[in-house]
Amino acid sequence: MTLSTVLARIVTLAMTSIFLQNAIFDRAFGANVAIYASRKESHVTGFTLGITAMTTVASAVTYFIDKPLLKTEHGYYFLPLIYVGVIGILYVAGLIVLWKYFHSTYKRVRKYAHLAIFNCAVIGALFIDSNYGSDLPGYIGYGFGSGIGFFLACFLINIAHERLDSNKIPRIFRGYPIMLIYIGIISLALNVLTGYTSDF
Amino acid sequence: MSSNKFSPSLDGLFKQNIVLMSGLVTAPVIVAATSGERALVLVLSFFLMSYTSILLCRFIPRKIVYTVRTMLYATVAAVMFIPTVLLLEMWFPETTKSVIVYIELLTVNSLLLAKTESRFYLLPYGQMAVDALIYILGYAVAAFAVGIIRGLLAYGTLFGMRCFDPLMPAAKSPFFGFLLVGILAALCRAVSGKRVRAKAMADASSDIRREGTQ
Repeated sequence: MTLSTVLARIVTLAMTSIFLQNAIFDRAFGANVAIYASRKESHVTGFTLGITAMTTVASAVTYFIDKPLLKTEHGYYFLPLIYVGVIGILYVAGLIVLWKYFHSTYKRVRKYAHLAIFNCAVIGALFIDSNYGSDLPGYIGYGFGSGIGFFLACFLINIAHERLDSNKIPRIFRGYPIMLIYIGIISLALNVLTGYTSDF
Repeated sequence: MSSNKFSPSLDGLFKQNIVLMSGLVTAPVIVAATSGERALVLVLSFFLMSYTSILLCRFIPRKIVYTVRTMLYATVAAVMFIPTVLLLEMWFPETTKSVIVYIELLTVNSLLLAKTESRFYLLPYGQMAVDALIYILGYAVAAFAVGIIRGLLAYGTLFGMRCFDPLMPAAKSPFFGFLLVGILAALCRAVSGKRVRAKAMADASSDIRREGTQ
């Protein structure tokens, strides 16, 4: 594989997981975290950085584990255990790096770092990798795209947040219910735009 | 004399329903609950994985730092995934295969990672066991409501029984799941809001009566 082929594969699969199989709009992976993170702009940035870094690095690591494990008949029983282990090790390593070299950032993020790492968006990206990734660039592309797709979803929810929480919305719909309906409409628009239907 | 009688709180059923009110565990219901049978598999997997994990993780000492505790909770759930899937594959082989990604996701569900710390583990063990069960019942109510409605609209079936021709095949799509859960969440708020107002009015009138008798 040449470098250009590798890059092309990463970009293609990243685009697929941002628009066609968006973690939030198509699979609802981490929808609750996206709604929580979209309340503040600083949270959108923080969560996106945490999730993108984790999905990209963890995807690259799990490629080497998935390859032998998924060849066995009952290997998939152990996937959650292994993925939790990989995410846990990377999470602790990330916290140590932040604590040692970026202490002020560590102090700021330590309260919600676990929310950005231990959620369905991160672990869901790894499970999707194991289904569609096939090779290392594919895994990295999907992992990176899942994080950027999460950012896209958070950004779209964030810009509508103030209006959806306003007095113009009937009281029983205000906040969480109207947010789900809003995400549903964007999901419908992406479905129509791409003509893609997930097989769930 | 104060009474020690334990009366379980039903908050988890409607007022703090984890799908319809707080949105802690939404992905499986929104995407995968497209029929009654799928909803049943999701509820059974959620019960077997989350409930046993909540009961077991209670024994993890709180002296351990929160970061490590969170990882241990997820590890226990991931271990529980193995017997859960073995059982479900025996009972519902096809349905389990089709929703397995959403069963795997339950290893990091917020009921286990967040609600345990903020609520369950602050209660005595027995009370916690009942409270967690009520929260899981709340999840079951939401999953069955969504699964049955979508099953009828998308396939015209109820737990595999044919009722009529499919009315809206798109009801099985994720976007319909978002819309339906959003509408059900609003209805749940309306109902629980009415109950809260009715309770407040009843409390107020009993206060007035009490003042009148004094």
